[in-house]
Amino acid sequence: MLAYLAKRLVSLAVSLAVASLVIFLVVEVAPGDPASYMLGINARPDTVAALRAELGLDLSKPERYVAWVGGMLTGDFGTSYTYRTPVSQMVADRLWVSLPLALYALSLSTLIAFPAGLYAASRRGRMGDAAVMGATQLGVAVPNFWFAMLLVLLFAIKLGWFAAGGFPGWDEPLQAIKALTLPAIALALPQAAILARVMRSSLIDILGEDFIRTARAKGLSPGQALRRHGLRNALIPVLTIVGLQFSFLLAGAIIIEQVFFLPGLGRLIFQSITQRDLIVVESVVMLLVFAVIVVNFLVDLAYAAVDPRLRTRR
Amino acid sequence: MTSSGPKYPGGAERSEAGAEPPLLDVDRLSVTIGGKTILHAISLQIAAGEIVALTGESGSGKSMTALATMGLLPGRARASGALRLDGRDLLPLTEPQLCAIRGKQIGMIFQEPMTALNPLQTIHTQVAETILIHGAASRAEASRIAADTLARVGLPPDRISHDRYPHELSGGQRQRVIIAMAIALRPKLLIADEPTTALDVTTQAQILTLLKRLVREDGMALMMITHDLAVVHDMADRIAVMKDGEIVETGPTRALFANMRHPYTRALFEASRHRAVLHRREAAEPLLRVAQVHRVYPGPRQGLFGPRSVTQAVRGVSFDIARGERVGLVGESGCGKSTLTRAILGLEPVTSGTITLDGHPVFTHGHPNLSVRRRMQVVFQDPYGSFNPRHRVDRLITEPFHLLPDPPRGAARDMAIDEALSAVGLSPDDRHKHIHAFSGGQRQRLAIARALIIRPELILFDEAVSALDVRVRAQILDLIAQLSRDYGLTYLFISHDLSVVRGITDRVLVMQAGQIVEQGPTDRVFDAPEHPYTRQLIAAAPVLPETGGHDAAAPAH
Amino acid sequence: MNRSLILGAALTAIFLVAAALSFLWTPYDTETLVIANRLKPPSAVHWLGTDHFGRDILSMIMLGARTSIAVALVAVGIGMGLGVPLGLAAAAHKGGWLDEVISRGGDLVFAFPSLVIAILITAVFGPGATNAIIAIGIFNIPVFARLTRGAALSLWTREFVLAARVAGKNRARISVEHILPNVMNLLIVQGTIQFSLGILAEAGLSYVGLGAQPPIPSWGRMLADAQTMVTLAPHVAIMPGLAIVLMVLGLNLMGDGLRDALDPRLKVLRT
Repeated sequence: MLAYLAKRLVSLAVSLAVASLVIFLVVEVAPGDPASYMLGINARPDTVAALRAELGLDLSKPERYVAWVGGMLTGDFGTSYTYRTPVSQMVADRLWVSLPLALYALSLSTLIAFPAGLYAASRRGRMGDAAVMGATQLGVAVPNFWFAMLLVLLFAIKLGWFAAGGFPGWDEPLQAIKALTLPAIALALPQAAILARVMRSSLIDILGEDFIRTARAKGLSPGQALRRHGLRNALIPVLTIVGLQFSFLLAGAIIIEQVFFLPGLGRLIFQSITQRDLIVVESVVMLLVFAVIVVNFLVDLAYAAVDPRLRTRR
Repeated sequence: MTSSGPKYPGGAERSEAGAEPPLLDVDRLSVTIGGKTILHAISLQIAAGEIVALTGESGSGKSMTALATMGLLPGRARASGALRLDGRDLLPLTEPQLCAIRGKQIGMIFQEPMTALNPLQTIHTQVAETILIHGAASRAEASRIAADTLARVGLPPDRISHDRYPHELSGGQRQRVIIAMAIALRPKLLIADEPTTALDVTTQAQILTLLKRLVREDGMALMMITHDLAVVHDMADRIAVMKDGEIVETGPTRALFANMRHPYTRALFEASRHRAVLHRREAAEPLLRVAQVHRVYPGPRQGLFGPRSVTQAVRGVSFDIARGERVGLVGESGCGKSTLTRAILGLEPVTSGTITLDGHPVFTHGHPNLSVRRRMQVVFQDPYGSFNPRHRVDRLITEPFHLLPDPPRGAARDMAIDEALSAVGLSPDDRHKHIHAFSGGQRQRLAIARALIIRPELILFDEAVSALDVRVRAQILDLIAQLSRDYGLTYLFISHDLSVVRGITDRVLVMQAGQIVEQGPTDRVFDAPEHPYTRQLIAAAPVLPETGGHDAAAPAH
Repeated sequence: MNRSLILGAALTAIFLVAAALSFLWTPYDTETLVIANRLKPPSAVHWLGTDHFGRDILSMIMLGARTSIAVALVAVGIGMGLGVPLGLAAAAHKGGWLDEVISRGGDLVFAFPSLVIAILITAVFGPGATNAIIAIGIFNIPVFARLTRGAALSLWTREFVLAARVAGKNRARISVEHILPNVMNLLIVQGTIQFSLGILAEAGLSYVGLGAQPPIPSWGRMLADAQTMVTLAPHVAIMPGLAIVLMVLGLNLMGDGLRDALDPRLKVLRT
């Protein structure tokens, strides 16, 4: 178990190191000098040079990489080129919209997908299965941002149950959750469709295993065999997908925020792109990648909790 | 039930065993799947305390009979007739009623111990579940019974912790756990579907002994399904021989072996103890020379930064094969024979030692020596996995031509294909077919054709008949013997099956834990084994009676 | 043949034909803007209505299909062209440094939220169809590499591959001759799925303005433009979305149908 944990931790650290390097290099090759961009074309050269020094742009590339990573490790994400405010402050505010949204959507997706996949697998080849599979086939094909627009059209404009967009802040938790509900549904349903399909096929695979037949020979009913022996085994591939979905939900949240005018990381990233505020882009992307890598690490730990073979081998 | 089944040949036994009603009475049971009849009105009785073996080749309906008795037929299957357990017909029962019977009154053991246990639960939990699911005891009581039952099947807690998971046990130990699950509630009937087929011969002997003991202790009835007549002969009180979904012959074991009435029974028996006729050979100069070969595999690290463990697959093996000699290599799984085979073919390097063919090393400077390889070929075990399903026969069997500097083309190639196919008893017209058009036995013939086509000096038969039914196996062994005469073949025949090796080799090597522990002329080794391991192997192998006649060796029950 | 294959192939064919046809003919010219004609609901004249510039939506969807299909198809091509050889090579040298690099590299790319990196790439190199293709294509590489490696690894343990090794064939030759043909079915099915994911990704990128730039029509762009007009004329938002759904649905149905027709046991990667 300890060896497994250590191995995962090493791979977590390596992933983060490589990821930060890749992001840094991609941003480095970006054309244009932020300092001259910020001061405009008529700025005097010595003003530009002074700004470059202030922003740390006059250092060599390795030095800047080390400064950037070192800063992030201590919570200092640098200073926004445009607003001259600490990036960490800007990110922290937005994170309180994006992260709850992604988690909200992930819970919804799991809550819908697990029962749906279980139901379809247990009714395999029958009407109920066909209905669930048809619905998921459609769900997989729907772009979430378009689905979001349809939700706005129906629930905000036609029925008036929800606001069409905006976010009141967490001072009023109920209102905040309500404002995140339509976005979360828009994000969750297409992901739930994928997860339900994976859940179903994983269960069907497991139900064909010899040990399910052994369980039936002990006197377990099909339902008992499924619950006692099928579910946990089927969970292993499903966990992988749940982990992957977190990254899709984070990214999806960026687009959905555009539809609902939510002040999240997505808005921040697009603003920064148009203003060529690359330090913000760089830091936000790194943060998202960090979240995804950590979630995958947690999924690996979950594997070990579920599967004793991982605890003793390797 | 519309048609009445044929009077089964064993009808006389019915009244004999029928002083009291049989525990299990299979009465003209038919099973159809999608309009195809799998079982044709079979009838069979098993009394309490009796071991009845169902035997026959693959597809004969043995396993279907077992599944029907368990009420675990595939969803589309339809059963008719009657299946009476203690006088109660099981066929009309509902699923919940059947669930109450399975595991409590009927236990079942399966063929594949590696996959029949849930990998995520401890063995104790899985045995206790049988008891708990039937509400037969309190949680604490069930836990105690589970521990006792595991001890009873030879897994006492001081030897094997009951908190282990299946992957921490060997195949034989897993099979014991499965037996414990099946007998935890002392069912009246135990069904064992090829319970030892996936196990080594010494493990098989232990499991068979265990089953016999449990049957005697608990007065259980045992329905034992096996393709192996020798196992049948060792185990069963009575035998039912199945073919194409029918019981063609049934009777008490000794009487049936003494007087086989049905031609199919006789054919099975003859094929099971078949020995090919090998013509005599004079010893010649050595062809293959294996000298002091070691092969070590690096294993996983011990702990995070500890040293790597090592697996010594082959430890100091030396032997020669003379030109024209037919040598057997026997040993149980994991003894290193596969590693040795791959090393001889030059597919893998050896850690130390040399392997030479006619004086030339098979592996030099980190690369296989292809000029040596072209003088060797191999026939593998799996008739279904040995051929690329996307290629046609002509392309499949000419693959070794790749080894020749100037492979035959055009008419010469056609002639070589025709000759190879004819030599193995296939038609030259088969060359345009895909592999799926052939049966398992025909595929092994193709595998031999592929080996023969470049006229190798040495052929390795790597478990080449292990996956075949007995009658097909006998034919392939005859073919090998015939080719050995026609082509003057030299071969190394690798197998876990002692009886097969005995019939097809002049000399035999016995391998255990990476070493050759005994070698010598085949008959001498089998008749007067010197090494304790060889003796153990031979003692563990179930045997058929010498003749079909009156036989004193049948077990007395 | 099965029903989902027929239905899926038919839907896909409609869009392929529409895209091809748009090179020669569209119902209306979309370059001249007729403001008087703006936001007209679907009618006999404009089957799917008109947009805020008075352009015929059916014509726009036909032109947009071209962009979507081109971007997704090239991205799948990049993924297959690089991923399949990498996967074959990794499996052929199982446990070697190449295998290690490819597996770890794949894990790493999977760890990046693909859309986020697409955003990063387009943010740095500027928006446009080419950068969208690269961004989507990069994420197809590990998908195909991983899939090919997994399938190839199990094939390498089969005896027919061992027989080819005994016949003296080297790893590269065995990979091409024996492994590749036997993973082809799987690649075709996965290719169809990645194609559909590419359509969705392209729509997402152009919706946020990072995909094909005006005047090149694209479905995502049409939806972005429609957003502010959704209350006035819902059809402007509904029609391009339906086009995406039907095209993706068609490809997915075709993938499932192909899998059932070729080999129902094939295991595709779902992400």
